Amino acid sequence: MSRVGVVGIGHTKFGNLSQYDLGDVMAYAATDALKDAGFLERRKEIDQVIVGNMASGLFCHQSAVASSVISKMDMEPVPAELVENGPASGASAIKIGYMAVASGMADIVLVIGGEVMRKVTGWTGTEYVATMLHPEAEYDMGLTLPGFGGMFTRMYMEKYGLTERDLALLAVKNHANGAKNKYAHIQAECTIEAIADGPEANVVNTYVAEPLRMYSTCPVSDGAAALLLVNMDSPKAKLFSKKPVRIAGIASATDTHCVHNRKDPLKLEAVRIAAEKAYAMAGLSPKDISFAELHDAFSILELAISEEVGFFERGKSFLAVRKGETAIDGRLPINTSGGLKSKGHPVGATGTSQAVELVRQLRGEAELGRQVTDPKYGMAVNFGGFGNNVVAMIFAKD
Amino acid sequence: MIDFSMYDFKEPKIKAYKCEKCGTVYYPAPMICKECHSRRDPVTDKHWETFDLEGPCELLAWTRLWNLPEGYNRKFLLFGIVQFENGLRASGRLEVEKPATGMRLVATVEESDERPGKPVHVFVFKQD
Ligand SMILES: [Zn+2]
Repeated sequence: MSRVGVVGIGHTKFGNLSQYDLGDVMAYAATDALKDAGFLERRKEIDQVIVGNMASGLFCHQSAVASSVISKMDMEPVPAELVENGPASGASAIKIGYMAVASGMADIVLVIGGEVMRKVTGWTGTEYVATMLHPEAEYDMGLTLPGFGGMFTRMYMEKYGLTERDLALLAVKNHANGAKNKYAHIQAECTIEAIADGPEANVVNTYVAEPLRMYSTCPVSDGAAALLLVNMDSPKAKLFSKKPVRIAGIASATDTHCVHNRKDPLKLEAVRIAAEKAYAMAGLSPKDISFAELHDAFSILELAISEEVGFFERGKSFLAVRKGETAIDGRLPINTSGGLKSKGHPVGATGTSQAVELVRQLRGEAELGRQVTDPKYGMAVNFGGFGNNVVAMIFAKD
Repeated sequence: MIDFSMYDFKEPKIKAYKCEKCGTVYYPAPMICKECHSRRDPVTDKHWETFDLEGPCELLAWTRLWNLPEGYNRKFLLFGIVQFENGLRASGRLEVEKPATGMRLVATVEESDERPGKPVHVFVFKQD
């Protein structure tokens, strides 16, 4: 199998881009990735474009978005297809791009993940996102993704002794990183006094799905992120200005559609299996990882995922957070970008955005104050459904 | 005047499924039995028994959800996951004063027309 590397990255600022066309938002990130790779003028030599998007049909009343992006970028007749895997569409698009290169069918692949969610109200957006749940057994009941986030959080708290203050500590940590990330939706720090300890905390940080509060839940964001992949063993690898960051491992796994049908609903089996496969592919283990981007759509997921991928023992991750081990200057920085909490979560863009962060950190291009010191391996987990379709990625600086 | 609501009124029910060949029970409906690989015909349910899922159950997890999607004209709803005596589990609404994990409940089924489209049957878990 050929080695696959990333030679270009692009990322829009996340936020409210509802006045813009989804194809324009994606094309902007994509052209940035081509410029970064020094390949904008030669873009028609790209063998394949793969677009990751969850629900343009619902959010933007638009279908066939891959064709739209190609045309906007003046890239016809380059082949282009759409990959959809809920909120893990972005990382799935990278995985399919990897497969295209590794198979020998393509040498240069452009992967673009994007979503514009704020053309509709927050209530309608929550409703659209809920359509990924089981139609009769979950969606019809009135359940939403925050609902499952809340139930999962309570189960975890009752079993392991996690507190609401521990969740607030995660928000403080991730906002400290996001405040320094030029791409983040909410570039502001928050203090533990404001959201947990102070007299106004319950007003500032209201409940969303008890015991999850607003600062334990990601915002609704728009944006796009893109990567240019190349076959590192092909002569074409020499066409690019930047040294490739190698995709050392990429894998995904699935779990039951209904959360209630998991033997132990606190176990995220798809996360564990995807991570194990990615480690095996990379020939690495959890102790090799220098930093990680973990899908904290709800803060509890950062903790649960960090345990499933083997960074911490089950039920112990929040003790490490209390000690600052996952802060930017800690032993294992997690969500150096600000995570979904501060950077934002345009569902189809999140996986590609996580991958862009891995590349920025491994190149040493992150902003002052949030650059990890000499990282070697970065890991990302992009979480689809409520954990029923998960992608894990490990990138390496060779 | 015709009152359409009078016709074809059926008490709301939610079905669980049992594979006739090996006896494994399911909720919601599977397409294939995980034990004996019998396929369920979604039109006739041939070779599958159905039964109403209701009655005593235990609360495994719960939340009070404040940001309800469009259509729900209430401040909040309680939701929970329960386990029935036959081992099946279900997600649904919760109507109790003080929810607590492990409490004994009774599963009832009600019709909900809050979301757009045709009314649907929802679980409402209540105190005995
Ligand atoms: Zn069977």
